[in-house]
Order: sequence, then structure tokens, then C-alpha cells
Amino acid sequence: MSSAGLRVDLGRGLVLPNPVGLASGTAGYGFELAQLIDLDRLGALYTKGTTRLPREGNPPPRVAETERGMLNSIGLHNPGVDWVAEHYAPLFAAWRIPVVVNVAGAEISDYMHCARHLDGVEGVAGVELNISCPNIAHGLDFGRDAAGAARLVDAVRAVTGRHVMVKLSPNVTDIAAVARAVEGAGADSVSAVNTYVGMKIHRASGRPVLPQGTGGLSGPAIHPLALAAVAEVRAAVRIPVVAAGGIDDVATAFDFFAVGADAIQVGTASFADPTTALRVLDGLAERAAAGRIPARWGTTAVGSP
Amino acid sequence: MVSVEQLDGGLIEVTARLPRLAAAAVPGQFAQLRCGDHGGPLLRRPFSVAWTESQTCSFVFEVVGEGTRLLAELTAGDVLDSLGPLGRGFSVDAARGEVVCVSGGLGCAPFPLLVRSLRSRGVRDIIVLNGAASAERLYPADRFTRGDAGVGVVEATDDGSRGHHGFVTELLAPMVSSVTAVYACGPNAMLAAVATQVTGAGSPRVAEASLEAPMGCGFGTCLGCALPLRGDGRGPLWGLCCSDGPVLPLRSVDWAALLALPAADVA
Ligand SMILES: Cc1cc2nc3c(=O)[nH]c(=O)nc-3n(C[C@H](O)[C@H](O)[C@H](O)COP(=O)(O)OP(=O)(O)OC[C@H]3O[C@@H](n4cnc5c(N)ncnc54)[C@H](O)[C@@H]3O)c2cc1C
Ligand SMILES: Cc1cc2nc3c(=O)[nH]c(=O)nc-3n(C[C@H](O)[C@H](O)[C@H](O)COP(=O)(O)O)c2cc1C
Ligand code: FES
Repeated sequence: MSSAGLRVDLGRGLVLPNPVGLASGTAGYGFELAQLIDLDRLGALYTKGTTRLPREGNPPPRVAETERGMLNSIGLHNPGVDWVAEHYAPLFAAWRIPVVVNVAGAEISDYMHCARHLDGVEGVAGVELNISCPNIAHGLDFGRDAAGAARLVDAVRAVTGRHVMVKLSPNVTDIAAVARAVEGAGADSVSAVNTYVGMKIHRASGRPVLPQGTGGLSGPAIHPLALAAVAEVRAAVRIPVVAAGGIDDVATAFDFFAVGADAIQVGTASFADPTTALRVLDGLAERAAAGRIPARWGTTAVGSP
Repeated sequence: MVSVEQLDGGLIEVTARLPRLAAAAVPGQFAQLRCGDHGGPLLRRPFSVAWTESQTCSFVFEVVGEGTRLLAELTAGDVLDSLGPLGRGFSVDAARGEVVCVSGGLGCAPFPLLVRSLRSRGVRDIIVLNGAASAERLYPADRFTRGDAGVGVVEATDDGSRGHHGFVTELLAPMVSSVTAVYACGPNAMLAAVATQVTGAGSPRVAEASLEAPMGCGFGTCLGCALPLRGDGRGPLWGLCCSDGPVLPLRSVDWAALLALPAADVA
């Protein structure tokens, strides 16, 4: 199935060949999935959250299944930005799929360090600022506070010419306010949503299954919640909105287009079926061929400044 | 196409037509099986490949939760959706002469295939030390040997209802110095006990175990299946069960850290 005509221009040089991406933390840095599927057909790969220094991540268990969903508490296990820039980016550069490096940190200076380090690097199509990781201490602070998020984006904006996408946390009282704040501070796009804070109890002991207590909930269980959040964000900003949350087929993906998303990310569903994103893309291309997709694709994303 | 065989003691062996998996799987590798249709659990469940014929693969398990319950309900004609083979299997190249396999409970699963592979590579004698809680929970000896006289099975039960009364690891001690390889699969406490026996001087060249961890994906992308590996002294390094393992050299695992983790049962 051809996916020509599905191009999405998210602005500042980030042009996706099609709107179907792989969500951060569910595709690693692409190398394992590349053994299983034809990655280069997809619209974008959002990498595992990458930090200034390598991180070992949290002790296990790190994942626990819940009703139609899963909790994770990986703790940003990653090789660090230097490794990504030196060893992975040259490999990304050989791929057709744009690679957006998801960046996380505890301090504004951590994000600045990573963004600066990745700025001129070939193979890195943009950065996605994870201001919302629920699995490290302080990881949520920027995402919860509109003013803090704006300060962070402002600082990162100053050190990179690359596309800056901001990944929004749904664990806030007013996601629209955070979205508006990061738009005002110069974000090129927003992605929503990251995982919802959740918990599972080990019934024999009465203690949480995840040693950190809580984890991030993802998968089909969060789809209706994510839809509501994305609709709210769409109404709040003019920059492109990239949607994630419980997509497991073309219908659940299309729900996000119905509320105004410009592109989507497939996350947890890839674990059970690594071809999910390709199936979504094929379904999208089929609908496009039948003239049943929004007119905004093919040129510039709607609402791009 | 599936056949489901109920063995004694709650063990179940499922055989399904999976020609590509059968052709590619090496001993110790696993497959991620979808349990039930889309109404079943969201994530697949990992199972060691226990046996292969040219067109089929077999898996051995018992019902411990929703996923295994749904697998046990499969009937002839159902389709088994499998992803694999995944992970790193046992190293068989350095094994010569005499080797020993140590199996505890459902740890039996990878050994039939391993035994066949070792024999086809010219390993002369294979002893399978097979332990379980009680006699009816022992995986049948003839499923390890498949009629091969070069394979011996010695059994142990915790309650003494068959074979050696006690832990299967107690049978290992007298053999360690004469074998070229030790392969183990079973509960972590058993694996740790094996590890203490094969780390000193004069230990077998190959000493490996197949380990478990709760998995998200099974193919290295979620980083969910962390296992503590021996680091540089500053605490464990987390390896990935699905892609660094599930088979790991016994000496590379930080057993103290592994045993200190909360039990994996989330039922
Ligand atoms: C590489 C690998 C190979 C395996 N091979 C076999 C095999 O050949 N035969 C077999 O019977 N089992 C095997 N297991 C364990 C098997 O995957 C679990 O028993 C199964 O996932 C349970 O699913 P469930 O839905 O029935 O239970 P759940 O409802 O998910 O859980 C029920 C019980 O099983 C435990 N459990 C769940 N997932 C795992 C897991 N991944 N590892 C260990 N315990 C788990 C839970 O903690 C709980 O005690 C293997 C595990 C791994 C990681
Ligand atoms: C195991 C796992 C790890 C994740 N790691 C990250 C991460 O490092 N950075 C990030 O921004 N989001 C991370 N996420 C969130 C996803 O990118 C996505 O926003 C979320 O899972 C919702 O989509 P889904 O329901 O399709 O999975 C992770 C999700 C999962 C399941
Ligand atoms: S199970 Fe996902 S990385 Fe191992």
C-alpha cells in the first residue's frame, strides 16, 4: 500500500514521511525492531528517553500488566547522550525514518546539555523533551508546572536550531495551560500523552508490585483519557500536536485525527505485535486512497505558524 | 493446529504447527505466545521452546494465571500466535564428553531440545538431574531421553516421593569435576545453588542457566525485563533477560541481588 501523500511537516525541518511514529520507550533506539519490521516505512522513531549521563534504570520488576494496559517503571535506563550522538546517530543517518531523540533530565541544565549535544548531529531529526517522566525523582516537576515548563523550553530553544517537541504529561490539572506555556516559549510541537501515574497491588502481600510504588500506565486502557487530553491540547495551541495513548489499530489511531492530531505515536501495542504501526500505516494509506483522510496532509501541518 | 496434552501433576504440553519457529529455534531460546484472542491478556507470555519437529514446536507449562489458563484451553484446530525465536540460547559448541543438565520444576522446558542438540553434536553422556516438589510433578524422564541410551535421568523430589529425597542440586556436587558443561533452569534459589558449585577452580568450561523476568516485549525494546548482572562493585548492572539472556553464564549473574528482589508472582 502506498503511503505517498501522507507527508506531515511539523515545522523547523522535521518532516515526517507519514504520520505514524513509534512512541518513546517502546522502540528503544530502533535497532531491535529493525530486525523484526521494516522501520523505514514509518513516519518517525521517537527514541528511549535519553539523559546527560548513562542511567542503569530501576530495579525490577519494571513492568506489570493491568486490565487492558501495563504499568512501567523503567527509570530511564539509557546509555547517555554522548553514546547516542557518537554511536547511534551515524546509524540513524543511514535510515529513511526520521529519528527524534527523546530527552529527559532532572535539571534545566541537563536538557540544555543534551539538546546542545545533539544539535548539529546528523541522523537526529529533532528532540522531544520528556518533561513528564513519572519514573524518576523530580521527573514530573517541569510537566506539572506551566511556568517551569516554559522556562525549560525557553532555555532549550536558545541552544538548538533543531525541532523541539515537548512531551506533555497527562498527570496535571490543566494540560492546556502547560501546552500554551510551552508554545509561548518556542516549542515547535507538542506530543501527548505520556503515561498516567498508576499502581498495582500484589494481593498476597498488600504491597505495590512495582518497587517504586507507582508506574506509568499505558495501552488501550488509557485511550479514552488520552483522546480527551489531546482534544484539549489541540484546542489550546496552534503548533502541531502528536498524539499517543492506547493506539492499537487504525481505528484507535483515527480517533486522534478526529480530535485534530497531526501525527500519532504507537506505543505499548508494539510489544504484543511489533507490526502494529505498519498496520496502522497501511490502514491510513487505504483510507487516503479512498479520499477519507483530512486534507491537511501532503503539505504543511494545519496551524503551523 | 494445536494439540494439548495433560501430563501428571498439572503439567501441560502444547504442540502447534509453527514451521518457521521450528526451523530457527536453538535450545534455550523462547517464543512470545499470544494467550487467547484479543480479549485475552494484552501482552504475550514467554515460553521456552521445549521440542521441535520439522513443522511443529512444543511448549511445557502449568496454569499459573490468566495467560496460561487460556493456553491450556486451546484445542485442535486453534491457531497459536507465536513471536520468535527470541533471546540467546545455550552455548553448545564447547560441550564434549560428559555434560549435566539441572532442572527444577518447570525448568525442565528447555532441556529436551538441548539434549537432542548436544547429542547430535557428539556429546557422549548427558545426565539430566530433574527435581520437582513431588513425584507427579516430575516431567517424565522419557521426554528428556526420547529413547536415547546416551541420556540418563536422575530424579529428586522435595517430599521424597520419588528418587533422591531433597534438592536436585545435592546430586550435582559429585559430578561437577568430571563434566565439561553444566546447564541449569529452574527457580532462582536453585540456580544460585548451582552457581556456587561451578565457580571455583576446576569448574566446567560452560556453566549456564536460563533465567526468567517479567517481560513487556520479549525483544529488547521496553527494557522491562531487567536482571542483576555482576557489575564493577558499585551495585548490580541491569541486563535484559530477553536479549542478553534468557541463557546467561552463571558467573555473570549477581545472585545475591537477584534473590533479594521481591518474588515475581503478581497474581
Ligand atoms: C524466557 C522465559 C521462558 C519461560 N519459559 C517457560 C516455560 O517453558 N514454561 C512455563 O511454564 N513457564 C515459562 N516461563 C514463565 C511464564 O512466562 C509465566 O509463567 C507466564 O508468563 C505466566 O502467565 P500467566 O498469564 O498465566 O500468569 P500471570 O497472571 O501473568 O502471572 C501468574 C504467575 O506467573 C508469574 N509470572 C508472570 N510472568 C512471569 C514471567 N515472565 N516469568 C516468571 N514468572 C512470571 C507471576 O508472577 C505469577 O506468579 C518463562 C518465562 C521466561 C521469562
Ligand atoms: C515501557 C515504556 C517506556 C516508556 N518510556 C518513555 C520515555 O522514556 N520517554 C517518554 O517520553 N515516554 C515514554 N513512554 C511513554 C510512551 O512514549 C507513550 O507516551 C505512552 O506509553 C502512551 O502510549 P501507548 O498507550 O500507545 O503506549 C514509555 C512507555 C512505556 C510503555
Ligand atoms: S521484555 Fe522488553 S526488553 Fe526484555
